[in-house]
Amino acid sequence: MRHSHFIRRIIATLFIVLICSAGFGIAQARSIESVSFLMAAPFADATQDLVKQFNQEHRGNISLQVVRGPLETEAMSDLAISSLLLGKAPFDGLLMDVTWLPKYAAAGWMQPLEDYFSETDIASLAIGAREGNSYDGHLYRWPMNADMGLLYYRTDLMEQPPETPDQLVQVSQSLQKDKKVDWGYVWQGRQYEGLSCVYLELIDGFGGDWLKTDSNQIGLNSKPGVEAAAWLQGLIDQGVSPRAVTNYGEAEALQSFKVGDAAFMRNWPYAWAELQKSDSAVKGNVGITTMVAKPGHTTATLGSWGLTVLKGSSHVDASIEAIRFLTSETAQKQLFLKYGYSPTQQRVIDDPQLLQDKPILAEFGRALKVATPRPQTALYAQISDVLTRQLSSILTGERTPENGMNVAAANTNQILMSAGEKP
Amino acid sequence: MIIFLLLPALLLLLVVFVVPLFRYAWLSFHADSVITGLIAIPNGGANWLRLLQDLRYWQDLGQTLRFAGVSVGLELILALCIALLLDQRWRGRDVVRTLALIPWALPTTVMALGWRWIFNTPYGPIDHFTKIAGIGSLNILGDPNFAWIATVWADVWKTTPFAALILLAGLQTIPADLYEALRLEGGNALICLRRITLPLLRPYILLALLFRLAQSFGVFDLIQVLTGGGPASTTESIALYAYWNALRFLDFGYSSTIIMASFVLISLICVIAWIGLQVLIPTHPKSRGVIEL
Repeated sequence: MRHSHFIRRIIATLFIVLICSAGFGIAQARSIESVSFLMAAPFADATQDLVKQFNQEHRGNISLQVVRGPLETEAMSDLAISSLLLGKAPFDGLLMDVTWLPKYAAAGWMQPLEDYFSETDIASLAIGAREGNSYDGHLYRWPMNADMGLLYYRTDLMEQPPETPDQLVQVSQSLQKDKKVDWGYVWQGRQYEGLSCVYLELIDGFGGDWLKTDSNQIGLNSKPGVEAAAWLQGLIDQGVSPRAVTNYGEAEALQSFKVGDAAFMRNWPYAWAELQKSDSAVKGNVGITTMVAKPGHTTATLGSWGLTVLKGSSHVDASIEAIRFLTSETAQKQLFLKYGYSPTQQRVIDDPQLLQDKPILAEFGRALKVATPRPQTALYAQISDVLTRQLSSILTGERTPENGMNVAAANTNQILMSAGEKP
Repeated sequence: MIIFLLLPALLLLLVVFVVPLFRYAWLSFHADSVITGLIAIPNGGANWLRLLQDLRYWQDLGQTLRFAGVSVGLELILALCIALLLDQRWRGRDVVRTLALIPWALPTTVMALGWRWIFNTPYGPIDHFTKIAGIGSLNILGDPNFAWIATVWADVWKTTPFAALILLAGLQTIPADLYEALRLEGGNALICLRRITLPLLRPYILLALLFRLAQSFGVFDLIQVLTGGGPASTTESIALYAYWNALRFLDFGYSSTIIMASFVLISLICVIAWIGLQVLIPTHPKSRGVIEL
């Protein structure tokens, strides 16, 4: 009885192997190049239609397959790194966040792309979208969608959004005094990457620099650096932001703004679509602008996603073909209209029809113009980590802004020095 | 002959336990990071020297020990109570036994996300209750003094059923006639607990203790989701720090050093806990007398 079971299993296995190898044989004979990209789940879902179109157009030549990764950015990075560490990656390309690029490039995991994209290609990108795609003189990434930090405000509470940090506090306090809202401003104050994004907009907005990567000059403990941290801390002290903001990520800030408890929110473009849903208490009363800053220093933290080709891929040309398709003007229009992903091609941002259907695109475009990437160094994860540690200490009153930023600057210096990037 | 029967199990242990351990030990004496292009270069004891001077590591170690000590202690006490309760005969016991396991069956990330919203200020239910009770908003997850208590709370909630299950299994191995004999001699419930239950349950308590100690010492997913190590790094655990070094900073040399150091420490702690338990719950000579009855 057992014996026959065993034999049956062997036969079944053999049969499966036979079918598989026959399948491979046919594929080989037709010489279809199969290309696979790893993307975070939301992007994998959003690009489904595009992938279908691509495969129809390239039937018999290229077969594109998108591997659906995890939902969260950090989990995505873990999966990608774990598979890259094993040597030859199981996919040809990767949809990559802007902050990963220097690290991945320094690790030698990526295929330089400058031979495949011309100057004219680069010139077709919006100015902000040209940032964060290169490292050490090589182009590694082609942007698919742009992401930038935005200031959301309530159009039913004010006619004009504030432009400077002081104005934001004033408007908030007067609205809170009149009991129009519980809180003035909600943002990302949790100890995580989002806090670095919040801070970058402010240190630049106060006229400073986090880290100049060309000269390795650290500006965290400069006057603007300390001012920016003190301003954030002051928001909590003055009651403009809730104390609980020290554990707020994007989701918590959005929740507070969505139910109408706050006059301002810092968030990414995805929040716009969320605020237009029927369960939003502020639907139709939301405006978008760039983060408050001292005159002439407006910035938005750049957080874009782009496609890369991994070193060791044997389908580089086919991968480039797929990247071009997925980032084409038509693709970007589709992704924007259906999923709200902001485009990276200037012509799409300027498209009159699109602007008429979705006027908010103009605001995305304006923010993208001033978008700045976070320091582009292979050590970014480390320096962002020491910064968020100190910022969180400042926000929770464990350290003064001066003290905290001095420690953050010293730690950053230490990281750069031990990496030999600084004498 | 016996060695041949053990061979498959030994091989498995070798592959999943011994090999990685040696690999970590080896890596901890090498620089292997994004700076070296992910190539391991021997650097003597530099990683270990760095570890000794790394205030962050020692802070994290203290925080991890605090977390493990408090949560495992609470869990064992609660688990013993629950196990004793579930061991009695009463209507609906089987339903409760099943329900009690639900927290344990939930994936940690899911339950941590749940707790993140429960603790949320001002939209979570806990904030709602403290406001009604007149305590006001506590801002549990955003306050360096409270956040670690929230992590302990969530951990106790999730893993008490696991410890209770082990102890319940232990309780069921104790023959009922032991209790009857002691009762005939005039022992009350408290004496039964001290003379029979605890001494005979000791191996199971030890098992639960060691399992939970090792697990909570390596706590990662709960904290990663609930607080991300914040606020002001007051909830960062050693595992979180090792993870950051490996997968975020791509510094495998130093990450291995953290892991090796933690391995040695947790082994030590388990030995201490084991000895401590021997002292704390001695095999009572009188209870042995009862067994002989």
